Amino acid sequence: MPDMVSIGQPQQRQFNPYSENGGTILAIAGANFSVIAGDTRQSEGYNIQTRYAPKVFRLTDKAVLAVNGFAADGSMFVKKVKQRLEWYRHAHAKDMPLRAIARLIQTMLYSRRFFPYYVYNILGGIEEDGSGAVYSFDPVGSYERESCRAAGAAQSLVQPFLDNQIYFKNQRPPPGTSNPTHLPLHEVLSLVIDSFTSATERHIEVGDGLEIFVVLAKGSTTQGLENFANVQEMTQTREGERMFNIRRNLKRD
Amino acid sequence: MNSFANRFSTTDHLRELKRAQANIEDDEFSDAAWGSEAGFGSLAKGVPTFSVPAVPDPSAFLRLHTDDHADPKCRIKIQHGTTTLAFRYKGGVIVAVDSRATAGSYVASGTVKKVIEINPYLLGTMAGGAADCQYWETYLGIHCRLHELRNRERISVSAASKYLSNLVYSYKGMGLSMGTMICGWDKTGPAIFYVDSDGTRLKGDLFSVGSGSTFAYGVLDQGYRWDLPDEEAQELGRRSIYAAGHRDAFSGNTCNLYHVKEDGWHFIGNYDISKLHYDGPDNVDGAGYGYDVRVGTRS
Amino acid sequence: MFLTRSEYDRGVNTFSPEGRLFQVEYAIEAIKLGSTTLGIRTDQGVVLAVEKRVQSPLIESSSIEKIMEIDRHLGCAMSGLTADARTMIDHARVTAQNHSFTYDEKIKVESVTQAVCDLALRFGESVHDEDAMMSRPFGVALLIAGIDEVGPQLYHTDPSGTFVRYQAKAIGSGSEAAQAELQEKWYSQMTLQEANILAMRVLKQVMEEKLDQHNVQLAQVTPQKGFEILDETSLKAVIDQM
Repeated sequence: MPDMVSIGQPQQRQFNPYSENGGTILAIAGANFSVIAGDTRQSEGYNIQTRYAPKVFRLTDKAVLAVNGFAADGSMFVKKVKQRLEWYRHAHAKDMPLRAIARLIQTMLYSRRFFPYYVYNILGGIEEDGSGAVYSFDPVGSYERESCRAAGAAQSLVQPFLDNQIYFKNQRPPPGTSNPTHLPLHEVLSLVIDSFTSATERHIEVGDGLEIFVVLAKGSTTQGLENFANVQEMTQTREGERMFNIRRNLKRD
Repeated sequence: MNSFANRFSTTDHLRELKRAQANIEDDEFSDAAWGSEAGFGSLAKGVPTFSVPAVPDPSAFLRLHTDDHADPKCRIKIQHGTTTLAFRYKGGVIVAVDSRATAGSYVASGTVKKVIEINPYLLGTMAGGAADCQYWETYLGIHCRLHELRNRERISVSAASKYLSNLVYSYKGMGLSMGTMICGWDKTGPAIFYVDSDGTRLKGDLFSVGSGSTFAYGVLDQGYRWDLPDEEAQELGRRSIYAAGHRDAFSGNTCNLYHVKEDGWHFIGNYDISKLHYDGPDNVDGAGYGYDVRVGTRS
Repeated sequence: MFLTRSEYDRGVNTFSPEGRLFQVEYAIEAIKLGSTTLGIRTDQGVVLAVEKRVQSPLIESSSIEKIMEIDRHLGCAMSGLTADARTMIDHARVTAQNHSFTYDEKIKVESVTQAVCDLALRFGESVHDEDAMMSRPFGVALLIAGIDEVGPQLYHTDPSGTFVRYQAKAIGSGSEAAQAELQEKWYSQMTLQEANILAMRVLKQVMEEKLDQHNVQLAQVTPQKGFEILDETSLKAVIDQM
């Protein structure tokens, strides 16, 4: 029935394989530990698809990757990174060091330069020298080692808070003292929790659950973890680095 | 070297796209997945390969989703770099850059390293797409090293910049964005080449690239001479980046300063641009580059 | 003896009924025609030494290159058809650089050796579009010396693509005598300097000409300076200490 078809202006359709699934991720490096966290809400538009979709993944005994952006691209990307880590283990008979993982992620993201993964990655863990490290990436692979980084829906809410509390931006130390270069674990953990509870209050795409990974370098204490109820040790080998997972609830409205 | 010759035998990007498309359609798992090459990365054949969406015009697809100048609401915000400068004088090359990266109007980072240390005697600067510069200049670094091993001689700045320029020219029209200065010291003395993703390659004494370049040129041009003493040359670089950081919203945070001499590059320092405004490079209270705005006394 | 093999020694893709690939075995024989090359591993670094056969006084001995750099932490000495070695060493260099591009770290000595051996087996007929490297096996053996997180290491590779790690190894025409000598004189607490001198002594025994700084080449890989070929003055100093 030709009259049912509206004959108007020609319409152009575009290939749009991307979506945005909200949520926020965050990582902070200490002197000998690294904390990587993300909320667990996944949404599309104003719809909450699930209240538990992990965004933070254990890669090796001392590396954790947080992915945010388009969830389908994110899970595919994590899968491929894990595959490359496995190949590397077979070819070189060792786990990939953190800075090697960072470079690998750059080349993997860049190989999709003309069809990007819509993901913001933050890699956290322990370097070969035992220091805590955080690497942050843009969707096509530019990367940088930093002390802390927030990405995702609430990055513009959380990052200024971290700049102030971790880099002591716009803070003057009391006379005769100086700002510490690294914070202890218990302070970092409370900053992470405060970041997420605040982001949950002011951003509709953040909430439901909080998943925190803590990676400790060889010989560092677990002091700071004893205050938490849901701490689960995820360490697989006993080489020295230890990894813990903490789960907490965030507001679900 | 055959792969090299083949690589540059065509500059037709459609052919390049076809090749890349054939690559993904072929199979995600190439030979590399099964042999012991598996661990050696996607570069096993010496040339990186890229996935391309299966649409008639892939570069329009990319522009639609990543170009935040054309459409600020686009989803994928690629970080952009901003003010960089380099100049050549009798004492070598001064390279100075800011450290701000913006994604749209958000300051994505204030600590970006926009000077890429290609090797101990070559520097590249970053303006445009941060990933494009980082990736291709690192890639240039391994090729410079291979040149050195094969020819038992360091690559000249001219040859290195031409390698990069040929490389990005083969991707022309596909959406790469980079404006870089390749700086170094070779047999001919200090040298700077400007290379960008359009394929331009220029030899020169003085360049500034990025949205803050006009402000940097203003300071640079009036203070530049061939026979500047080292101290003054470094000060000129720093002062120019300060000016750009001060007047250009897309530039700022800190200034990284490098000096290339005959024995390779040296990192001079990192300077907070607001501290330069108030206290100057030597951190003396009130000795900054800035001035007091006088509205207070007039009104 | 060649008569009995004639049925099966033509193609590189045919095993003999006894399970042998004669072309590969002949390639291994080709190494025994090459000049003597040896390597010694110590805790302080690895030493590589080669005899340069300067058959004519008109040859510029400096143009004979039998020890090459793969990367700053990796060196390589060869014996056999040295022209074949260039392809393999270029492959090793590219592999090492690709590794550092993809992983921002130095490639391990064993990994680069594995990569060279992968190439050694890329002979015969090519599968569909794959670029065939060679129609025959490479006629060269390599000693790959290097230092990585595991420490100083020395590997030997041959045309069959096999690689084995050694404390000390000799290849080439004088290899049997040299290997016997190394076996007798090598000990685990050897210093780098002692290894240099031992390398020269062993070469001296198996060389027909009188050994001097023009007809041998000595290189070492150390944690401090990486790979370096000793210049004539340092080489002469070692020879004088013998």
